Amino acid sequence: MTYILDDYALNSPLREKNNWLKILITIFGILVGVSSNSPVTPLVISLCMGFATIHFSKIPPKFYFKIMAAPAGFVLVSAVIISFFTGVGNEIFGFEFFGHRFGVNTDGINMAVLVLARTISGMSCLFFLSLSTPMIELFSVLKTTRFPDSFIEISMMMYRYIFVFMEVAMGIKYAQTVRLGYKDFMTSLKSLGMLGTSLFIRAWEQGEKLYVSMNSRCYDGRLILMEEKKPIKRSDIILTVAYFILVLIVFYSTKNILLIGGIS
Amino acid sequence: MTILETRNLVYIYPDGTIALDNVSVKIEMGKKIAFVGCNGSGKSTLFLTLNGTLIPKKGEVLFHGEPVKYDAKSLRELRKNVGIVFQNSDDQLFAPTIYQDVAFGPTNLGYSKEKVKSVVQSTLDYVGLNPLKKKPPHHLSGGQKKRVAIAGIVAMEPEVIILDEPLSNLDPVGADEVMDLLNELNYFGKTIIISTHDVDLAYRWADYVFIMNNHQVIGEGVPENIFRNEELLQRAYLRKPQILEVYEELRRRLLVKANGCPKDIPDLVRILKEPELMWVKVSPDVKEGDSINLGLLHGDFALNYPMEAVNGKVLHIHEDCMAIVELSRHYVRAGSIMIYDTDHHDSNFLRLFISNGDVDTVGAMGKRSKLIAEKDNIHLDITSGVIDRSILNALCGQRCLIITHGGMIYHAFERITHYIKESGINIHVDIINENGDISSLATACTGDVSCVRSSEWG
Repeated sequence: MTYILDDYALNSPLREKNNWLKILITIFGILVGVSSNSPVTPLVISLCMGFATIHFSKIPPKFYFKIMAAPAGFVLVSAVIISFFTGVGNEIFGFEFFGHRFGVNTDGINMAVLVLARTISGMSCLFFLSLSTPMIELFSVLKTTRFPDSFIEISMMMYRYIFVFMEVAMGIKYAQTVRLGYKDFMTSLKSLGMLGTSLFIRAWEQGEKLYVSMNSRCYDGRLILMEEKKPIKRSDIILTVAYFILVLIVFYSTKNILLIGGIS
Repeated sequence: MTILETRNLVYIYPDGTIALDNVSVKIEMGKKIAFVGCNGSGKSTLFLTLNGTLIPKKGEVLFHGEPVKYDAKSLRELRKNVGIVFQNSDDQLFAPTIYQDVAFGPTNLGYSKEKVKSVVQSTLDYVGLNPLKKKPPHHLSGGQKKRVAIAGIVAMEPEVIILDEPLSNLDPVGADEVMDLLNELNYFGKTIIISTHDVDLAYRWADYVFIMNNHQVIGEGVPENIFRNEELLQRAYLRKPQILEVYEELRRRLLVKANGCPKDIPDLVRILKEPELMWVKVSPDVKEGDSINLGLLHGDFALNYPMEAVNGKVLHIHEDCMAIVELSRHYVRAGSIMIYDTDHHDSNFLRLFISNGDVDTVGAMGKRSKLIAEKDNIHLDITSGVIDRSILNALCGQRCLIITHGGMIYHAFERITHYIKESGINIHVDIINENGDISSLATACTGDVSCVRSSEWG
């Protein structure tokens, strides 16, 4: 069985914590990270969030770094490009290419590092939320924010059946693989087409079955939401406030500190 | 009293295939009913007409003697009282968590929030799924999903529960747990209807059987009659239950009493003919016609039958002091079966009882009791077919403990006392909780138990 984010979130000890608190921490992290113009604050945020995710949420570090690696790789490439094409200032590195000068200057590199740090801190905040709060809990958050009921109900059912279809799709794919359905490019395309078709038909059938089974249980337009009171403990508040204060102090004291060029 | 009835039901699918052809059935209240037929014989379609999902082309469905009406209000009333558990649990479990799924029915019945909460909580407790209530369905095993599906229906407190192929894709222990649950529900007065193509299950479990083939009901009756009708079974593409086949082969070889109809292994054991003659080595001074006491049979003569006293009459003495002896035997002591009620659980008492009480085998029935046993580190020898195995072991002189709860206690009690009555073999049965109330309750509900209650556990 392949583990996905939601599976980790379901087993996370932080699942029992207040959802709003977790959302607050996430939003705070993202806002402060983005509004900081020195790369230090975002880095501190991502370190804290990473620590919280691995230590409190009990996510295996290997998995955490793996899912961080995907966006990080992306941002790294963008950072390289940004460093070459933006800013003015002293050139620290450069080369001639077909008579055209490509150079990296201090402004560019500062900008690149800032973008890199901000993105990583944003990602770590989002992963903190998604690895500690399963979808199920977010539905009740949506409910309290007065989202239309039908919207929440449809998304609840979508959530449930994503897994049913994943299982069906994997089953079909396996059945195709063992009969050499993916032996070369053309057969792969054909098999993939068949997979899509049969999934579409299955989805349709499943819809009908769902309708019958809901009707059999007297459906009249009401699904219940898990409404659970999750009181915020004193230790949670202390830890959160300590984190906020730390980040804010770093935010003020590192204002305008740049990687290269010192205080501007 | 008839609770559900169909009269000349005809249903034709939109593409013109006939799905039900003149089906008339009467379902008695409080019974265990099985619809048996091969795949595609129309069982599922019939079930969908019984709760008003499909509207028949001709004929009518009657609930409590009233024809079913198809307006929204009557349908609601019908579906509240006739619950269907579908064959594939994934069709039925659509909520993101177990708790929400079980709460779905009660919420739609318009119960208050508090009532929904208490109903769901007690139902989850009842099926032993409380620890899993916050999990999403895709984290559950097949057996757990099936129990959630049943819980979702039970929470609506219907009078009739219909289950389409309840045991398909379940492992033996999971299947046993589902059947225990159904027996318990039935004990509390629910009418249970299942469809199956497992003849062994239908024969063993059902009170009344309908055989379906080719969209028609081609036979109905008590399982003892239906499953001996070879011609009928052949027409329905079914076979005889295994235990009946074994019985018939034994009967042909004169190894069992004639005219039996064993439903399970204890039944079969009861009607086995004991050997009448035996080769025995005797001392040289024994003469033909003497009576000798062979004592207790053991070893190869009585595998697993250690408590049988045998007297023999010597008919003939062969060379080397080997004699042919006519046996007359009687049971010195059958074992005993003790039932422990986990609703009044006291883990110290139970542990002490198992270690001091000279208990040979321990079995647990029902998920909740199994979980309790697991938590208290009690080794379970039997986890499936618990009552039958315990009877068989008790017949071999063992002391068996059954750990269970709720309606299953009464079910076990009745099953054992019934066996005692039929066989004349005295197995001690007792409820061993310290709480005296339950013991007397059980005595009151089974009437003649007092005669078999042993004094040693008083």
